[in-house]
Amino acid sequence: MSGFLTIFKKELIDTLRDRRTIIAMVIVPLLLFPVIIAITTRIQIAQAKKAKEKILRVAVLTHENTPLLKEMLSTRGDMRVVENIPEDSVASFIQKDSLDGAFIFSENFDRQVENLHAGQLKFYFKSTEDDDITKRRLTTIIEEFEEKLLSERFRRLNLDDSAVKAVDLVEIDLASMKEIFGKAVGGFLPYIFVIFCFIGAMYPAIDLAAGEKERGTLETLLTAPVRGIEILLGKFGVVVLTGIGSALVSLLGLYIGIRQTGEIPPEIMNVIWSMLEMKSILLLLSLLLPLTIFFAGVLLTLSIFAKTFKEAQSIITPVNFIVILPVAIGLIPGVTLNAKTALIPILNVSLATKEIIAGTIKYGLLAEVYISLVLLAGLSLYISSKLFLRESVIFRG
Amino acid sequence: MIEVRDLRKVFKLTRRQKKELGKTATNGTVEAVAGISFTCQPGRVFSLLGPNGAGKTTTLRLIATMLKPTAGSIKIHGFDTTQAPLEIRRRIGFLTGSTGLYDRLTATELVKYYADLHDMDSQLYKQRRDEIFERLGMKEFANRRIAKLSTGMRQKVSIARTIIHDPEVVIFDEPTAGLDLISARSIIDLIREFRQQGKTVLFSTHIMGEVSLLSDDLAIIHKGKLCYHGAYPAFVQQMKTKSLEDEFIRFVEEA
Repeated sequence: MSGFLTIFKKELIDTLRDRRTIIAMVIVPLLLFPVIIAITTRIQIAQAKKAKEKILRVAVLTHENTPLLKEMLSTRGDMRVVENIPEDSVASFIQKDSLDGAFIFSENFDRQVENLHAGQLKFYFKSTEDDDITKRRLTTIIEEFEEKLLSERFRRLNLDDSAVKAVDLVEIDLASMKEIFGKAVGGFLPYIFVIFCFIGAMYPAIDLAAGEKERGTLETLLTAPVRGIEILLGKFGVVVLTGIGSALVSLLGLYIGIRQTGEIPPEIMNVIWSMLEMKSILLLLSLLLPLTIFFAGVLLTLSIFAKTFKEAQSIITPVNFIVILPVAIGLIPGVTLNAKTALIPILNVSLATKEIIAGTIKYGLLAEVYISLVLLAGLSLYISSKLFLRESVIFRG
Repeated sequence: MIEVRDLRKVFKLTRRQKKELGKTATNGTVEAVAGISFTCQPGRVFSLLGPNGAGKTTTLRLIATMLKPTAGSIKIHGFDTTQAPLEIRRRIGFLTGSTGLYDRLTATELVKYYADLHDMDSQLYKQRRDEIFERLGMKEFANRRIAKLSTGMRQKVSIARTIIHDPEVVIFDEPTAGLDLISARSIIDLIREFRQQGKTVLFSTHIMGEVSLLSDDLAIIHKGKLCYHGAYPAFVQQMKTKSLEDEFIRFVEEA
């Protein structure tokens, strides 16, 4: 067995027995998503149900105008008209949640409508955290109310409803469900696996470099008949493996999370499974490998500079934020994969993932992403190899 | 055999070290080893004595190929440390009192790791492992994780991993530091065995009792320079003070 394999095997055993690594690499990514998805979807569904089923309390101040709106509201079982609210108290009632909404007609509403003008109707509401379901429910009533007034107007003028329509717009969206959904969800996916890939690689990198230095074991390793590059590659291999492992476990956690909810409509589930076809998964993995090598190079270099495990942790923790930034930029609408963004590390992975999931990846740009990542991975490996076993770094005091 | 000739090691100082050392540092460097020469013969124990910061550990690290000399040369069995470090590492066993171990491995796994690094044949490894574990009384904790071992047990594991490949040259840097009397005594016995087996033994210490028990040859190092180098009996013969300790202090103070 060559020195590299001996070191790789030992470091892997050592790492897999480290509780911190197992927590960061397996337990957190595996449990986080099922727990988050289960909790958030249940809360969201419960909140939405509550908002939809709630009997809305509405005040209607007609000022002697048409009682039609009031009648429409009164006949509905899901709304209750609250009487005798003074006009100047409407806002405070809504702010205190004593009312869900209020409609106040202008004094001349009927006259304006009669004269073929628009009558003013004020709609008071409070934007809520229930996804504006209350507002949407009341807006629907207003739309019905307006339709009735317009029908009456058209009848009086002997006009057909279509007389006011000059354009019959027929919208034809050629984006497939997979594309629409892929672009939305695809931005979230790299957020998960890039970050978990980094976190999963972080602890082993700290332990195998700064930790080994602190324990004094690196010193004895340096007296064994293996070349420095074999030591580095053995450690590198384990850091890369744990990074990729962590990213895959996080995706597995996401898969379990989606499966266990059972609240997602079947048509959307079908789209999700069609996005996770073998080709997409292989393309994602091929992006993950050079990215993790790049991370491993950066992490091992920073870690070996530190004198202790703690010092390495304090150096590397801020790097987390540097990693998150380009991933977050990838989530901004309008930021797309092009010849320039394909060269920016991490951001290119984020954007390419979106395109892969949506099935719209352009292979020329994907090649550019690979070239950028492979060059960067090579550079980080080269810098690590130059610094890793330098006397002044190893025996830095 | 270890042959050290005009060995020098100069370290660049960090900004913090420059501040700490002040005037003693010149041009931002410090000379940890300042042109020393000595020879360690097979079948003899060579003791390297010196106060803290004298350059003992740096000298041993240079011999063990962990550091590269600034000038001079070190040859072990004819191989130069800078030309053929891997050949040298195959022939040496290096142990320090502050050596760390991999806590999450068992004693056997750790010893096997070093055997694999030395590319040992599996049969030979098993034979050596059984002999060493028997000799050091390690069988009862062979499969226990190192994190759960006592200091004495850990030191035995360190020794086992140092000698698993049967090195011709053994280098010990303060091997009994922090050990109780019984554990320290077992190391001294082991060094004696190595001498009988014809190995070259180089060890650094500042415990005079160990020097008198083990030394065939002796060197005193202070501020990177040798103050004394010769056979141990000759050192005792020329003593101007009553005890080894006093004599050691005299040499250091006069240097």
